[in-house]
Amino acid sequence: MADYTKYTKQEMQAYAIAKSIKENQIVIVGTGLPLIGASLAKAAICPSCHPIVESGLMDCDPVEVPRSVGDDRFMAHCAVQWPNIRFIGFEANEWLHNEDRLIAFIGGAQIDPYGNVNSTCIYGSGDYVKPQTRFTGSGGANGIATYCNTVIMMQHQKRRFMEKIDYITSCGWMDGPGGRERAGLPGNRGPQMVVTDLGIMKFDEETKRMYLAYYYPFSSPEMVQENTGFEIDVSRAELMEGPPPEIIKLIREQIDPGQAFIKVPKE
Amino acid sequence: MDKVYSLHDAVAKFVEDGDCISFGGFTTNRKPYAAVNEILRQGQKDFTVWAGAAGGDWDMMIGEGRVKAYINCYTANSGYTNVSRRFRAAIEAGKLTYEDYSQDVVMLQLHAASLGLPFLPVRLMQGSGLMKYWGISEEQRKTLEKVDDLKCVEIENPFKPGEKVVAVPVPRLDTAIIHVQQASPDGTCIIMGDEFHDVDIAIAARKVIVTCDELVSNEFIRRDPTLTRIFGECVSAVVHCPYGAWPTQCYGYYDNDPNALREYDKASKYLDAEDAVAQLAKAAVKAEKAAEKAPGDEKLAEAAARARKAADDAAAGVAIPETFKDYLNKWVYSVTDHNDMLNKIGGHRLMSLRNAPHLGYSNTHIK
Repeated sequence: MADYTKYTKQEMQAYAIAKSIKENQIVIVGTGLPLIGASLAKAAICPSCHPIVESGLMDCDPVEVPRSVGDDRFMAHCAVQWPNIRFIGFEANEWLHNEDRLIAFIGGAQIDPYGNVNSTCIYGSGDYVKPQTRFTGSGGANGIATYCNTVIMMQHQKRRFMEKIDYITSCGWMDGPGGRERAGLPGNRGPQMVVTDLGIMKFDEETKRMYLAYYYPFSSPEMVQENTGFEIDVSRAELMEGPPPEIIKLIREQIDPGQAFIKVPKE
Repeated sequence: MDKVYSLHDAVAKFVEDGDCISFGGFTTNRKPYAAVNEILRQGQKDFTVWAGAAGGDWDMMIGEGRVKAYINCYTANSGYTNVSRRFRAAIEAGKLTYEDYSQDVVMLQLHAASLGLPFLPVRLMQGSGLMKYWGISEEQRKTLEKVDDLKCVEIENPFKPGEKVVAVPVPRLDTAIIHVQQASPDGTCIIMGDEFHDVDIAIAARKVIVTCDELVSNEFIRRDPTLTRIFGECVSAVVHCPYGAWPTQCYGYYDNDPNALREYDKASKYLDAEDAVAQLAKAAVKAEKAAEKAPGDEKLAEAAARARKAADDAAAGVAIPETFKDYLNKWVYSVTDHNDMLNKIGGHRLMSLRNAPHLGYSNTHIK
C-alpha cells in the first residue's frame, strides 16, 4: 500500500501554493510547482479559481500536466485561446478597472528583502553585458509583476536571498514604502508572499520588508534565518500543518501521475 | 497567384544576409524548424533578430554565429532546457550583441509593427533593470543599421501630465518565417491553436515565408473564412513541409519529439569536441575537489571517479559525447533537404508524435 502520510518538500510547497489561492481568483500560472499547486486548488481546495497562462489561454483545466507555458496540453479544456497580446491587455485592464482578482506565480534566481526578483543574470566578476551566469530573461514576469499581485516561488538558499540583487527583472516593493509609485509602477499591486521549501514569507504592511509568516513541520524559524542572506523577522512565524494524506494521494495519482514536476521518493 | 516554392528556393530568394528577421511560434511550439535548418544549410548570416519567446531555433543560429544583434525576451526549450545553452554560452563569453525587453513589450512591439504604429508607449519595465541597463549602448546602436538608436525612453503621457510612461521603438522587419497547419497556393493560411505573434509578423514583414504541414487548394481554404488567419497577399512564398515544425509541436497535427529535444539539450552543452574535452576536464577537477573535501563520502567519490573517467576518455578521443556541432551535422548538414531529414527520423517515430484528435497532443509519444 502506498503511504500518503509522508510527503516531500515539493509536495508541501505545492500544498502551500494551493492554500494561497482564494475563491474566484484568476490565477496566472507558469509550469512546474505553481501549476501543480493551481491544479490542486482547482481539483480540491478552491475549485472556483480560474488558471490562465501568459501565452493567452484562459481558464485552463489540463488533463495531462503541461511541460511548458506554450505546451498544447494547456489547450485541452481551456475556455478561450487568445494570443499573448490579449493576455497582456487583460492584465492591464484588470488594474485599470481596479479589480482585485488576479494573483500570479513567478520564480527567480535571486530575491531581495522587498521582493524584487532577478531572473536575468548573475554578474559574478562581470556585469549585465558579460555576466557569469545568464538565464532566459524576463519572459512574461516583468509585466506580471507590474500589474498583478504576485506569489514568488524560490528555493530557500543564502545565495538566492540577498540584501541587494544584481539585476531587477520583476519589481517587488522596490526600496520600501512608496517605492513602486516613485518608479512609475502601480502602487496597489506587488508581491504578497514568497513560498519556498522552508516556509512562507509575507511583507510587512509598514516597511514592505519580508518576514517569516509560516514554517513547515520539517523546518524552523532558525533554519529560515540561517538560509536567508539578510536579516529577517521570524518573531511572527507560525507553524503551517502539512498536507493531509488525501491531498498527497490526489497529487500523486491524479494531478502529476507521470511525476513530471513532483518526484515521489521510492519506498 | 501561385506562390508555391521549394524550401530551398524560398529561403534562397527571401532570406538575405543582414535581414531584420523574426520567426513565429513559441519556445517548443510551432517553431519553423524546416526553414531554420535550410537557412543553416544555405549560410545566410548577420541577422538582426526579434526573437519573441525563442528556443532551439535561435539557439542554433546563435551557436552557428549567424546573429548580429539579438533582441531577447526569453530563450529556452522550456520543459527540456531551462536556459538555451548556446545563447547562454555566447552571452557569458561576451560574444553576443543582445538586448533584453520583457516578453510583453516584445509582443506589443511586434503587434504595433503589424498596426503600422510609429512608436509605442507602454506602462511596463519601469523600475526594473530592463530600463536601467542597455545590452546595446546608444553609441553601438548608431553603428548598427537595423537596430534602433535607442532602446527605450521614459516620457510623460501627453494626455495625463505627470504620468511617466515608456516609449519603445517599433521593429521594421525584413523577413518573417512562420509554420502553419494549412496554407493554399495563393498564400492564405489557417493557424490552429495558439497563433502567438505569427499573424503580427506576417503583416509587419516585407518578405514572408510560410511553411505548411498541408498544402490545400485555394478553394478549399476558403470554405470557412473564420478559420483563416493570414491574407495571402501578405505572403511571399508558400512551402509544403510536412512536420515542418519538428521537433516542436504543431497543434492538431503532432506533438514535440521529446527524444530530439533531450538530445539537443545534452548535445548543445558542448560546442564541439574540443569544448567537450575542456568542459569535462574542468568538471572532473571540480568533482575531485568536492570528494577530497568530504573524505568517506562514497557517493562523491564515485561521482569523482566517473567524472575523471569521462574526462580521460574524452581527452584520449575514446568517448566524446555528442556535441552541438555533431547534432547539427546529424540533423541539418548531413541531410540534403527536409524530406531527407524526415526519412532519417523514421516513420514510426513520426507517427508516434501524431496528435490524438480528442486531446490536441499525442498520448503515444515516447515519454
